[in-house]
Amino acid sequence: MRHLHRGLWFMASLALLVALIWGWQVLADARILPRAFFPGPDRTWRALSRGFASGTLVADTLTTLRRLGLGWVLASLLGVGLGALVGTSKWAQDWVAPIFEVLRPLPASAIAPVLLLFLGLTDSMILTLIAFGALWPMLLTTVHGFSNIHPRRKEVARSLGMGRGAFIAKIALPGALPDIMGGLRLGLTVALILVVVGEMITVQGGLGARILLAARAFNAAEIFAGVALLGVIGLVTNALLGLVETRALRWQRR
Amino acid sequence: MLETTGIDATKSGTQEVLRVDGASVRYGAATILDGVDLTLNRGEFVCVIGPSGSGKTTFLRLLAGLVAPAEGRVLFRGAEHRAPSREIAIVFQDYANALLPWRDAEGNVSLALEAAGVPRAERAGRIRALLSKVGLAGSEKKFPSEMSGGMQQRLQIARCLAQEPDVLLMDEPFGALDAMTRQKLQDELLGIVRDSNVTAFFVTHDLEEAIYLSDRIVALEPDPGQVCRVFDVTLPKPRNQLSTREMPEFLRLRRELFDFIERFEP
Ligand SMILES: Nc1ncnc2c1ncn2[C@@H]1O[C@H](COP(=O)(O)OP(=O)(O)O)[C@@H](O)[C@H]1O
Ligand SMILES: [Mg+2]
Repeated sequence: MRHLHRGLWFMASLALLVALIWGWQVLADARILPRAFFPGPDRTWRALSRGFASGTLVADTLTTLRRLGLGWVLASLLGVGLGALVGTSKWAQDWVAPIFEVLRPLPASAIAPVLLLFLGLTDSMILTLIAFGALWPMLLTTVHGFSNIHPRRKEVARSLGMGRGAFIAKIALPGALPDIMGGLRLGLTVALILVVVGEMITVQGGLGARILLAARAFNAAEIFAGVALLGVIGLVTNALLGLVETRALRWQRR
Repeated sequence: MLETTGIDATKSGTQEVLRVDGASVRYGAATILDGVDLTLNRGEFVCVIGPSGSGKTTFLRLLAGLVAPAEGRVLFRGAEHRAPSREIAIVFQDYANALLPWRDAEGNVSLALEAAGVPRAERAGRIRALLSKVGLAGSEKKFPSEMSGGMQQRLQIARCLAQEPDVLLMDEPFGALDAMTRQKLQDELLGIVRDSNVTAFFVTHDLEEAIYLSDRIVALEPDPGQVCRVFDVTLPKPRNQLSTREMPEFLRLRRELFDFIERFEP
């Protein structure tokens, strides 16, 4: 019954996607906007296959995926690590948390020029940018998850003679995981935005740089191809993370 | 091995494990326990009764080292103790919060072994032995949410035994269980305490449960919590759910305890 339900929903969203692409084609064929600015799915698809055939699109996609992955992992380690520190230490709560409150509202895109100054047109600049922007949801959800740990669990840890490290690894983190997973997902969305921003600034390969260069060359089909590919990357990475989440939180549905 | 247990057995009743000396506990301005004295000897089973709010849980937390006395001291094997120790295990009343829902039965017992630094290779065998000791053989892979209340409390007891404690502190551990399960667990607990020669400190509001399990019953009176009376229970062992509960001595104690507790009922 539940599988049937799920199947129906999947079919419905697939039908919606097909309808959207078809509508896009109709709109493009109607030539309301010049074809040069607004290519239909057909010309976008041709740009995609051309790019894949030449290999440059594959290389750019892999570059973007690598930066996205590294940046997101960096943000996760920093966010969850700092969150665990703030969540378990009175000292960190008093001294570190206020610093976060100052940094957090800064738009990540605004600190990009600062990073450029220090790190130049490098991968490190892009990764730092992603890490800075994407660590906040992870940090906040980790702190929140840690603050919700039942006091009894802390007493269990104390009576078992567990140190702080063991408490974090064996009790606090697994207990906060449902919260943290939400932060990891949000962080992934932010990371995808920032990898494109970073690549547009550094122009050292990747889909962001490709889209920027295509825009400078007034190559609309190429832009649309890049955007479509980023959409697919967002969809697939999010779905993968969803799978990981389902596995990691299996115990919740028993 | 046999020799040492033999020596312990002959000394039981004299060998002091935990001692509370004129200890008071305060939360802010409120005095919860006031000048409490108690000595727990090796292998002894002591129950604590008293009306609700008389400080039974606070007493247990004091012995556990989870709260520090404002006055007086708590001595564990002769040395002052102010922080929890692995040798003093605690069975909490709310087993759902005390167990980790993301670990199965094995994993929950394993937590105590991991914390004590038992090498991985040794853990599996010890976990299996502990689970079968509390009657959970065959449920190794079950998660707490797949277990009944009685099974979860058994699991918590198994985790406490994994600590190989000298003292087992229990706060109304069977309070949330039905009568049949409760009686079964009482008998199993008596067997475990006898076999492991552990000292048991058991909080309950069930007077008959207290008599059935105890060597000694400590009665607390409230406002502020004080040891009001100590009842020695001389009923023969091993105890039996039917015959022990019919003995004149059992009924006499039951009467006495009821009279005691009635004074505090509104
Ligand atoms: N953490 C606390 N802070 C303030 N008061 C407390 C705290 N814990 C318990 N008390 C108070 O101490 C008294 C005794 O509580 P407790 O030891 O739980 O009694 P019992 O277990 O016998 O019901 C109660 O009046 C309770 O309100
Ligand atoms: Mg209580």
